[in-house]
Amino acid sequence: MILKKLILPLLLLLCQLTLAQTDTITLKEVIISDAQLRDYSTGQSVQKLNDSVIGRNAASLTSLLNYNTNIYFKENGLGMVSSPSFRGTSASQTAVIWNGININSQLLGQTDFNVLNTRDFNSISVRAGGGSVAYGSSAIGGSIHLSNDLYFGDRFNNSLRTDYGSYNTIGVNYNLDAGNNKVSTNISVSRNSSDNDYAYPGTSLRNQNGEYYNTSVNAAIGYKLNDKNILRFYSYVFDGERHFSGTLAVVSRSKYQDLNTRNLLEWSGYYGKFTSRVKAAFLKENYKYFENKANNLYTHGSVKTYIGRYDLTYDVTDAIKLNTIIDYTHNDGDGSDIISKKRDIASGSLLMKHNLGRIQYELGIRKEVTDNYESPLLFSFGTNMNVARFYDIKLNASRNFRVPTYNDLYWAGSGNPNLNPETSYQAEVGNVIKINSFTLTVTGYYIKLRDMLRWVPNTSGIWMPENVGKVNTYGLESILNYKTKIGAGELQLTGTYAYTVSREDGKTYQLIYVPMHKATASVAYAVKNASVYYRHLFTGEAFTASDNSASLDPYNVSSIGAEYSLKFIKGLDVGVQVNNLWNEEYLAYAVRPMPGRNYNMYLNFKF
Amino acid sequence: MKLNKLIVAAFAGSLLFVSCSSDDDAKVDTPSGAYDNGVIVLNEGGFGAGNASASYISDAMVLENNIFSAVNSGDLLGDTAQDLGFVGDLAYIVLNGSNKIEIVNRYTFVKVATISTGLVNPRFVEFENGKAYVTCWGDGTVTTDDYVAVIDLATRAISTKISVAEGPERIIEENGKLYVAHKGGYGYGNKITVINTANDTVTTTITVGDVPNSLEVENGNLYVMSAGLPYYADTETAGRLDVISLATNTVTRTVNFTESTDHPGNLTIEDDKIYYTLDNAIYTMALNATTLPAASLFTTTPQGSYGVYSFAVEDNHIYVGDAGDYSANGQVHIYSTQGALQKSFTVGVIPTGFYFND
Repeated sequence: MILKKLILPLLLLLCQLTLAQTDTITLKEVIISDAQLRDYSTGQSVQKLNDSVIGRNAASLTSLLNYNTNIYFKENGLGMVSSPSFRGTSASQTAVIWNGININSQLLGQTDFNVLNTRDFNSISVRAGGGSVAYGSSAIGGSIHLSNDLYFGDRFNNSLRTDYGSYNTIGVNYNLDAGNNKVSTNISVSRNSSDNDYAYPGTSLRNQNGEYYNTSVNAAIGYKLNDKNILRFYSYVFDGERHFSGTLAVVSRSKYQDLNTRNLLEWSGYYGKFTSRVKAAFLKENYKYFENKANNLYTHGSVKTYIGRYDLTYDVTDAIKLNTIIDYTHNDGDGSDIISKKRDIASGSLLMKHNLGRIQYELGIRKEVTDNYESPLLFSFGTNMNVARFYDIKLNASRNFRVPTYNDLYWAGSGNPNLNPETSYQAEVGNVIKINSFTLTVTGYYIKLRDMLRWVPNTSGIWMPENVGKVNTYGLESILNYKTKIGAGELQLTGTYAYTVSREDGKTYQLIYVPMHKATASVAYAVKNASVYYRHLFTGEAFTASDNSASLDPYNVSSIGAEYSLKFIKGLDVGVQVNNLWNEEYLAYAVRPMPGRNYNMYLNFKF
Repeated sequence: MKLNKLIVAAFAGSLLFVSCSSDDDAKVDTPSGAYDNGVIVLNEGGFGAGNASASYISDAMVLENNIFSAVNSGDLLGDTAQDLGFVGDLAYIVLNGSNKIEIVNRYTFVKVATISTGLVNPRFVEFENGKAYVTCWGDGTVTTDDYVAVIDLATRAISTKISVAEGPERIIEENGKLYVAHKGGYGYGNKITVINTANDTVTTTITVGDVPNSLEVENGNLYVMSAGLPYYADTETAGRLDVISLATNTVTRTVNFTESTDHPGNLTIEDDKIYYTLDNAIYTMALNATTLPAASLFTTTPQGSYGVYSFAVEDNHIYVGDAGDYSANGQVHIYSTQGALQKSFTVGVIPTGFYFND
């Protein structure tokens, strides 16, 4: 009796202990939304930008990636429409993946990198090279992965960050990260606005009509039904308005509004050797363009996207993994300039990964079925080989595609319904040298793009898209990371360098807005509660005319910043930043000067 | 080993590049400052690209590009140059994208003044009675705010705006009357508006073919070339030529094109001959012709041009502007009136018009 009485609490205690233990285990086990990024990037370089890097950079995705990765951006003035060129490709050949879902615009085929707030995501990863087998259209130059990772465990953390900078630029971000062993919640709310009326350095002009504001909410909620089943819901809303700034030659009167919502419901089941993920997503993009902001007349476009996906992983053995993905996507688009149209695309992918210890390899194929265009069979092959303790070689080869957009197919008057997807054959060889905390990745690649869509005038002078472009791109990318202790603190060095040659078949002209050279570097030193950092961006000459008769000058832009965690108010960080430290006069797009030296300061309160 | 080489090459390459990031701005040739006795080629430039420019080809066929920037300490001309008109010693350059008119000395191209208020989407300019008349679309999306701006040449300010139908484009003056072709802006027009410059009011409108794109006056007749409706309209239609008696403001003769895909343009009259273009072919016919010529005079196919972007006939030369891919610098080809190529020039981006400065 006494024994029994004793045993019961003991057992309970034991339960508590085991529970606590499983808690700590699950604490580490982050439930990621983008499993293919983790499991099927063999032979490719994935550069992960974590919280601290995101926090030190401006809130736009353009700024974060421009200063820290090999991707080049053409930005129509600060905060305006921004499009990437990744490995010399066009803006629609870079896929943006939000929690595993491709969110490139169905109208434009690309993502505007100034309509995503970086502070809304836990981690942002840049995966270089082809990825259409796993991610579908546009993953040619590479893909950008915006992720909200969830984990189960007791916590209740809030943070509130406020930024204030030159040109009355204001940023507020609130983040809630809370959970227990049943529920996990990660919610971020951001608001950014700016008068953006900077002086054009070296002229008497100002950036007129450049003001913008945007508000975004990103929520990720996980609920553990039981040990085997987890439900997750992700939702992202972005609502913004930008006045489109003028140029050195134009005083603009226009403005543009974006309202984008993305919702994803996922049910994951973990059944021994099988992992099953059922996903349902609803995305809606909507824009309004006002030629004259003074009146209420606008053109608009809107596409609703419904995605159903079944993703099944089977661990054949400890070393062999299989993954099938069945996807059905329905788009429903209309607008003032496009013909209203629905389209359905079904696809199936099969991926396999084999781990042989020092060598891993993976294979993948994908096929789409749709009435709208002829879709090619896509494939991928990748391998990682650990050659020496400090040296890995990565190989990857793939065929990828970019499907025609709503505008390409259905633009009233000049859309061409008979288009096929752009396709690429590409291959890369990567070298990774890792010695303690020194990592250097050097990757050489080649991309052969065919059937590239180009808007070209026909004999009657009417512009229509045609599958006429043939582009060959090759280059070299390197990424360097190094950390070392110096004195009481830690020094961190990062650098990237990209050499890019991108040309039309048989031509010697470099494609426009693809600089042959781009480099970034940053140095950060942190000691106790303080850190200082310096970062630098070099962009080589970028041609602005197809015959290379006009170009943007090369430029060097730097920022310097410091951050201090206050002792007397626990959890409060203070930061200051000087951007364009050397007051460089530069253009990131023709006739659109970027700002000179400017300032930003912030408070980040964690409670 | 290979890797080492690659890294070294990469870093060396980047250093080299940084060290020789020279200033390429010194490409501009020394300006001659003398743009008389030749033709000014106006280069539209890309919309939003701010790279409108002017080129000059002398009677001796010597080219000088970028003359505006060269003589005005590197200033940009503006965005989307649409038209140029000479009045006295001045040239008025209409910049559609910049919503302004740049006034320069027509012989030196030195900047005289800028008119930047009251012009919304300005298109073409004509002069009469001490005034400049500028066709303006207003907001492209608004069909009811189109006008002809009247500029007092003495004050260089807009004195009045004459409200007209949508999409006023080319404008021509004869005997104190202005004839404005309504190409239609974002829509499709089919009217000629007649304006009396004595009181700056609309006296009448004349119906012509759809999308009138060029007009000329000769011997008391107004010749209007219309492209017809494009293929993306509800029904594609062929172009047509209308001949209007200015005495009665009525169409006295119409010459129809046959195929609905025939969309002619660039009507020009020189030495009692009509010239026009269809795709990349140049045609000519008599002033009083009632049927179209069976064969073209010549085509631009040997020059690799797929179409004729701009066109002029002057002093036994035919001038063709080729916009190429609209990003690269364009070409100007000069032919004899029989179509023999005499010389080709690489000018600025999108050569849009020829203005003879004699």
